[in-house]
Amino acid sequence: MSAFPGIEAGGVEPPALLRLLRAAASLKCTLALLALLLPAIVLAYNFEQWRSWPLAVPLAGLSLNLIASVATNPAFRRQSGLLVFHLSLCGLLALVAVGRLTYLRGTLELTEGATFEGQLNTVDAGPYHAGSLDRVRFINGGFRIDYDPGLFRGATRNTVRWLDEDGGWRESVVGDQYPLTTRGYRFYTSYNKGFAPTFEFTGSNGQTELGSVHLPSYPLHELRQAREWQLPGTDRTIWIMLDFDEVILDPETSSQFRMPADYRVIVREGEHRSILAPGQTATFPEGTLRLVGLRSWMGYNVFYDWTLPWLAAAGALAALSLGTHFWQKFMNKPWDS
Amino acid sequence: MESELQVLWAAIVAYVLSGVIAIFGVALGRHRERIVLGLMALGLVLQTLSLGMRWSRVGHGPFITLFEILSSNVWSLMLVFALAYWRIPKLRPSAAVVMPIMFVMMGWLMLAHPGEGHFPPTYRTPWLFIHIGMAKVFLGVTLVALGIAGVVLMRRFGIGLTRFAGLPDDRRLDELAYRFMALGLVFDTLMLITGAIWAQDAWGRYWAWDPLETWSFITWLLLAIAIHLRLTFRPQPVRNAWMIVAVFVLAFLTFFGVPFVSESPHKGAV
Repeated sequence: MSAFPGIEAGGVEPPALLRLLRAAASLKCTLALLALLLPAIVLAYNFEQWRSWPLAVPLAGLSLNLIASVATNPAFRRQSGLLVFHLSLCGLLALVAVGRLTYLRGTLELTEGATFEGQLNTVDAGPYHAGSLDRVRFINGGFRIDYDPGLFRGATRNTVRWLDEDGGWRESVVGDQYPLTTRGYRFYTSYNKGFAPTFEFTGSNGQTELGSVHLPSYPLHELRQAREWQLPGTDRTIWIMLDFDEVILDPETSSQFRMPADYRVIVREGEHRSILAPGQTATFPEGTLRLVGLRSWMGYNVFYDWTLPWLAAAGALAALSLGTHFWQKFMNKPWDS
Repeated sequence: MESELQVLWAAIVAYVLSGVIAIFGVALGRHRERIVLGLMALGLVLQTLSLGMRWSRVGHGPFITLFEILSSNVWSLMLVFALAYWRIPKLRPSAAVVMPIMFVMMGWLMLAHPGEGHFPPTYRTPWLFIHIGMAKVFLGVTLVALGIAGVVLMRRFGIGLTRFAGLPDDRRLDELAYRFMALGLVFDTLMLITGAIWAQDAWGRYWAWDPLETWSFITWLLLAIAIHLRLTFRPQPVRNAWMIVAVFVLAFLTFFGVPFVSESPHKGAV
């Protein structure tokens, strides 16, 4: 028995904070938190709305558990490989968390020959995203896609001209695993692409505007090459359909995405129906619509996460340090001893 | 295709013979380890030839169809086990546990349709080889650990007590199995990292909670739990052996269940 409260006979009882730290550092605590992570992963997998706090709680707990272990366990600190591995995992978690606050994910569609000027069709961004997408400029210079028999898509080669950070224009071929990377944004080509009839609309005021209609993705919606379009600067909505007879992508043989050589565009508005070849016009009360030609459009996925290279570095460090730890641990005793 | 299948059949026959001789060798106490190793090596050479012939014909590695994935995994698992069998003689009797598992996979392979599949453009990257290579080493070393765990469990249930008497005691086997599980953790970690890099390049995201990613992560977590359990409670070898069985079963289901059950194992993998 101790004569003094808080002090055990035979030794000095550690301060309450140290006791708490040691409890938080225990391997049992680690195990409990790892076990808690299992249902959290299952939840995250099944329900998109459960991908934040159910994961954050055990992961934050594991981080605290690690910090407590480092603070209280000299044996752990001495095993540098093991220590670096666990710290790398903590670093990975921190980077993922920061990445979630600052990321941007979006989509856009761009007609061949058109310039991207910072506008996305869909955007999903972290609350602290502070990139400079509005300064990104690139021009879709058209693409080539080969198809294997059975309409299996091959490599996408999309030529883009883009403005670098020094203000100079460059040309690159992007596609599949080679995104256009500029100002931290990665622009990936997608399977979403198709035909874009391009029109010139001259309003009754004499002003002319150029516009393209992105028809549904081809060949995914091969039989639905039509959509509604609002004439520029008016309230009038017309229906447009691309009509051609030739087979562009033959399921029986290898082929390549291309524009049809002979095509017509059917323009319908109420009871009025016009069939336009390139150069021909259709007249409306608000102005005249002239079919300029047919172009392609490409759908891009945009991704921004400045933590990516750091995540890769932390991951590599984790694997390397874990390997070093086990190497040091096992090299002293032969495997066949 | 005919000739590559014939060579594959010859490889399977060599593997089966090596397995049968190994199992009977353990059961009857007549060790023919050099013959077993020689047949394994012969099977590996023949299967390498068969895989090479197919690769050359279809223009891509064995990564797409069930047939290709099973074939390449039979090859990699046999390679890892043959190396362990060769370099660590003490675990050779564990072939009696490992080879029946391999027989099941070989039987499944023989039933799978050997037709070709489409090789997506996003698979044309060195990361595919690195990622899959790491995965194969991970499953291979886990299989070796499973073989050792199987011996521990068979002893526990009184099976082959005399036949496995020449092996080290359970504690030593447990230590050896732990080494392979530790190797497994390293390669599983590398597999996840390289997979994330590939996914970022190919599909514009490094993680998307797709079935294969999620189950791979769960496998990694279970492996981490197994190793921490061992460190925390110092359980009896039998309990560790059960944990190894659980990890292997989960890894096996992730490798060969998820890709063929889920319609889109990897989101965007078209």
